[in-house]
Amino acid sequence: MNRKRKLQQLLKSLVQPLTAVLIGLLTGAVAISLVGASVLETYKVMWDGAFGNFYFVTATFARATPIILIGLGLAIAFRAGVFNMGAEGQMVLGAVSAALAALYVPGSGIIKILAALAAGFLAGGLWSLLAGWMETRFKVQLLISTLLLNYVAVLFAGYLVSHPFQDKSGSAALAQTPMIDQVAWLPKLFPGMSVHMGFVIAIVLAIILFIILRFTSAGYEVRMLGYNPFFAEYGGINKIKVLLYSMFFSGGIAGLAGTVEVLGSQYRYVEGSLTVPGYAWTGLMAALLANSNPLGTAVASILLAALQTGAMGMERNTEVPLEIASVIQGVLILFVTAKITMNWWKVKKKGRDIHGAA
Amino acid sequence: MTYVLEMKEMTKKYGEFLANDKISIHLKKGEVLAIVGENGAGKTTLMRMLYGLEQPTSGEIILNGRNVKFSGPLDAIENGIGMVHQHFMLFSDFTVTENIVIGHEPKRNGFFNRKAAAEKVKELSDQYKINVNPLKKAGDCSIGEQQRIEILKVLYQGADIIILDEPTAVLTPLEVEELLKTIEFLALQGKSIILITHKLPEVMKVADQITVLRNGRVTGNVLKQHTDVEQLATLMVGRELQKLTQRVQLDGEPLLVVDNLTIGGKEEKPILDDLSLTVHRGEIVGIAGVSGNGQSELILAITGLRKIDNGSIRLGETILDGTSVANRRSAGLAHIPEDRYLWGAAKEATVEETGLMGYYRKKTFNQSSFIRLNGFRELLKGWIDRFEIKTPSLDEKSGNLSGGNLQKLIVARELGFETDFLIAAEPTRGVDIGAMEYIHEAIIEKRNNGDGVLLVSSELTEILTLSDRIAVMYEGKIVDILNRKEATEEKLSVLMAGGN
Repeated sequence: MNRKRKLQQLLKSLVQPLTAVLIGLLTGAVAISLVGASVLETYKVMWDGAFGNFYFVTATFARATPIILIGLGLAIAFRAGVFNMGAEGQMVLGAVSAALAALYVPGSGIIKILAALAAGFLAGGLWSLLAGWMETRFKVQLLISTLLLNYVAVLFAGYLVSHPFQDKSGSAALAQTPMIDQVAWLPKLFPGMSVHMGFVIAIVLAIILFIILRFTSAGYEVRMLGYNPFFAEYGGINKIKVLLYSMFFSGGIAGLAGTVEVLGSQYRYVEGSLTVPGYAWTGLMAALLANSNPLGTAVASILLAALQTGAMGMERNTEVPLEIASVIQGVLILFVTAKITMNWWKVKKKGRDIHGAA
Repeated sequence: MTYVLEMKEMTKKYGEFLANDKISIHLKKGEVLAIVGENGAGKTTLMRMLYGLEQPTSGEIILNGRNVKFSGPLDAIENGIGMVHQHFMLFSDFTVTENIVIGHEPKRNGFFNRKAAAEKVKELSDQYKINVNPLKKAGDCSIGEQQRIEILKVLYQGADIIILDEPTAVLTPLEVEELLKTIEFLALQGKSIILITHKLPEVMKVADQITVLRNGRVTGNVLKQHTDVEQLATLMVGRELQKLTQRVQLDGEPLLVVDNLTIGGKEEKPILDDLSLTVHRGEIVGIAGVSGNGQSELILAITGLRKIDNGSIRLGETILDGTSVANRRSAGLAHIPEDRYLWGAAKEATVEETGLMGYYRKKTFNQSSFIRLNGFRELLKGWIDRFEIKTPSLDEKSGNLSGGNLQKLIVARELGFETDFLIAAEPTRGVDIGAMEYIHEAIIEKRNNGDGVLLVSSELTEILTLSDRIAVMYEGKIVDILNRKEATEEKLSVLMAGGN
């Protein structure tokens, strides 16, 4: 009986994201037929491009790695009821800090890697904490401060790699750090494939976060704060502390996303390499699609990465342009965020009402 | 004898659920019919069918000898049926006049004729002796005034049958008196009134005829002169009410000591004004007052949810002021909040999660920061049995529970802490009589155990039934403290209004 109910609830929670995906695919189908291609064939090519053979699967996983981490970071913030829109800046600061740590911390490879991971996590975490602190101290809305801090972070990282820490070894003066020593690279999971240790880190982190959120008192406090901050406060939860911790870990994990990209895939920080592919926004979408469930976020991230790698395959093999993937993603965002914004709005409104009454 | 309204064998099914099972009522011109019953007895469904908001599964409505069917409220209004809802539907930025005439504005050359509207409202207000200020904004009116606007609106629309849905739930005692007079006067002027309520003393004051509902069926139809409160309660609950447990005489030492508590007051009037109060062990202190006189702030200040500007709060030997909510709770304070949806629970959280608040910190249920859910579930199931909390499962969203059941869950949770001191704010708001008895019983038991209780309630009967001492709050101060023996509803009403 109880198991049946649980199953029902699970199915119910899947209805919304699946509907969004379905509508996204249908809209994509309309767009594909508008450019005059066969819908089924195009989707088949896309599928092959994402999961067609082992190589493509690993390429999809490699692309999913930063998206999963970003999504997990955001999921923590969303669970605590705050809208962290600053994943991009947190990721970039994490990436550049990790690159510099790997370059300049002396020691063996493992020490460099640990230092880089710590630096990336701290940089992203502290950057996010700054926004959290401004909210609790000066009531600067997180939604806005995190969004604006993105510009500061991205431009600052750009400055670092085009002036003090620029790679001057090559002939062309690109905005990038020197390449980090090979001993500090995260190992590839399979020789010749692009997926690296970062993917394992992301999956393990997803499982750990799932357990923490679900079974520990810290996770309970985060969830209750997100559900109803007044209830949390009434029950003796320290709102400010939980909010700041959530923001710190949220940004820290976003910083890790940048870190593993640097250590596992690019081996240096290159300006624009993390912002142009839109990892942060895809991660945001994954977290929203999965309603901030960490395991669901990982799955959604892989699906969205597949959409992107699949679209690349599609562009290689058909006349259909890459942008179809953006159309599908765009529709996904629309349908997923509709619900989220409504809920968020309701909570805000409730908050206003009580302040008005007091 | 002819009736202005008859409803015959009204039945309403929602799927398998029978909300109304062959309910019949009848109403004469100038008569006040009270429909009483607990929450979920079917009162509201019946009235929604009469007002055209629901279509009956079967049954007929006979209005002035004609068989009628209403497709919606507009239809009902056209036919002279008006309803004053429990939650008012006013535009707060509009004036009283505008709110009353809305939808049927007097016009001149196609434009809204404000002057004629104001005159018309004045006329109605004089005719039915219902006092309003036609030019005031509805948002600035007190709850009582807002209700009068709603009644005038219904009269303006030409209603001969007026349905009042739980009209006294939100009013102060003085406003209740006034409303009851208005109802009597309206009946005298030939209007027929249907009063939906569960407050029996009021029924006994104004009703001519009383129909009692329980579980969707009529359990009694009586004339006022042939019945009394006890009989009505028995018909409502289906059994006789128990007498409350005897209270043991206890002379406990001071437990909660509040001294010179002040909130606000630098530029404007303080919300709490140098307030001092003591609750002893083995004592229930009731706080009576018209809502908005600082009761809510007092509770929030004691529980640590609101900052204070001056004063001290002590619980036993522990100083509470300036400490966190968690500290106060572990010092021995439990708190049934006045607003269960705002403070007491999270709608999105499951029943289990709502129940777990506070307990997850206890050693019994927390093993190196992992929550021991299995152990907690046993406790939770115990509450569910004892308080007869109706929920499909422990995983049900708290927001899906009925208000009364959620209240019972919150009460069970807070009593379950077994603290020395309990703040009970509106502990029985929205629960049915059976549950109310149980909660009252539990609170008295707690007192008899030598614990202290601070009770805040807008129900004077609740305050009078439970309290050992009654403190009356007015404008942020305690204006008087009465003993259980000397307190009467009349005395309290006067004090609550700021008199002596």
